[in-house]
Amino acid sequence: MSLIVWYIPLALLVLLLGVLLRRRAYGVSPCFFSYVAFGVAAGVARFVVRHHASAYYGTYWITEAGYDLLGILVMYEVLRTVLGSLTRAWWARLIFPAVLVMGFSLSLARSHEVPHRLVGILFNIVLGETAVRFVQVLVFAGLVTLVPLLGLRWRQYSFGVATGFGLYATVMLLATTKYSDFGTRFKFLWDVTSLVAYSLAVLIWIWFFSVPQKAQTPSSELSAPSPGDLKQYKDALRRMR
Amino acid sequence: MFSIIFTWVIVAWGAIACIYMLRCAWTRFPKRDVDADDVIPFLYPVDISLAESLLDPATEFECRWRLEPRRFRKAQRKRMRLYLELTRRMAHNARVLVEYAEAEKNSCDPRRMSVAAAVQEKAIGVRLYSLLTGIKLRFWLLLRTDILNSKPVMAHLRTTGDIDGLETYGALKTAAAAAFMKLPPDAIDSLTRNL
Repeated sequence: MSLIVWYIPLALLVLLLGVLLRRRAYGVSPCFFSYVAFGVAAGVARFVVRHHASAYYGTYWITEAGYDLLGILVMYEVLRTVLGSLTRAWWARLIFPAVLVMGFSLSLARSHEVPHRLVGILFNIVLGETAVRFVQVLVFAGLVTLVPLLGLRWRQYSFGVATGFGLYATVMLLATTKYSDFGTRFKFLWDVTSLVAYSLAVLIWIWFFSVPQKAQTPSSELSAPSPGDLKQYKDALRRMR
Repeated sequence: MFSIIFTWVIVAWGAIACIYMLRCAWTRFPKRDVDADDVIPFLYPVDISLAESLLDPATEFECRWRLEPRRFRKAQRKRMRLYLELTRRMAHNARVLVEYAEAEKNSCDPRRMSVAAAVQEKAIGVRLYSLLTGIKLRFWLLLRTDILNSKPVMAHLRTTGDIDGLETYGALKTAAAAAFMKLPPDAIDSLTRNL
């Protein structure tokens, strides 16, 4: 495949960064904004050192570790935003650690079942990557399940972020599972799948962030209602009691 | 082996979630205009005084005191079914109001948008309470409380998942009153009766 095709996600990420800056998303979703900015920087760094094997090797694995860390932070941010306005119960704070433990346990269990060629720090980075994929799918699927159950609004930034990651992580988990079945014959298809899935995820993020978010919480900055309005409101409440 | 099964379950769940989101995105057009006529006739009346009496610890204690254990367990199961029905109605009404609030959020008036956000916030609280209480009640009914020596206490259902059900439903009613205050008095009366 030509070089241009491989860098489509980077071009889309640059576009997304522009959209996020326009929407001032750094205030609403700082972790996701950092993730996208990091993605652009990592893509550019990989592009610059692509002809130097050892430099590319180092850059690739360092940026992969950065993606793992930021991926977890973004999922934490998504859960905190959605559940924070939903419930203040003590058990709500345990959801993210539970998902994290589940993700890392599954990743560890898989690494024992499927033989790995990597050792040391690289093995840990791949382990973390798989765990992050599990966390992303679990958070996304869990939130989507809450939409019909609780009547949550799905057209909000947090859901957009979770949907992009959820789609990409679902495809990648599926591809990784099949990759372990088919071996290296599957490599080309795996690369293409990853490229298409990530591009789709970035397009989803662009679509979600392309419109301003509607008011999520009642605003306290509005001017006081008129005496007539207040009287009507009191009458309505009196009838209700 | 278990990790492979879990992986496939999670992948399938993720795939279903993707399909659901695709459906949500697909069906958002055309936008439905929801007004008071799409709300008031669709609400189910919720008898709050009945709910209060079902959750009243004194009433429950009196029943336990007055009735022999076998009859008390029978009465308790009836009370549970009744409260389950009330929470179902609360959840339904919250759902109807969420749809109304969703449509109101498209308006350009910041006050209407703010009121709609308040209705939606309270409605989600009510739905979460109804969901958790419904799970608890179904579990109790499924286990047949007579086996467990009539342990379930209805009064404990007042607060589930740190949400006070009746208080949150009251707050939803107040938010709905604010949202519908521009309606004519007869429409407000219908809303009062049905909510």
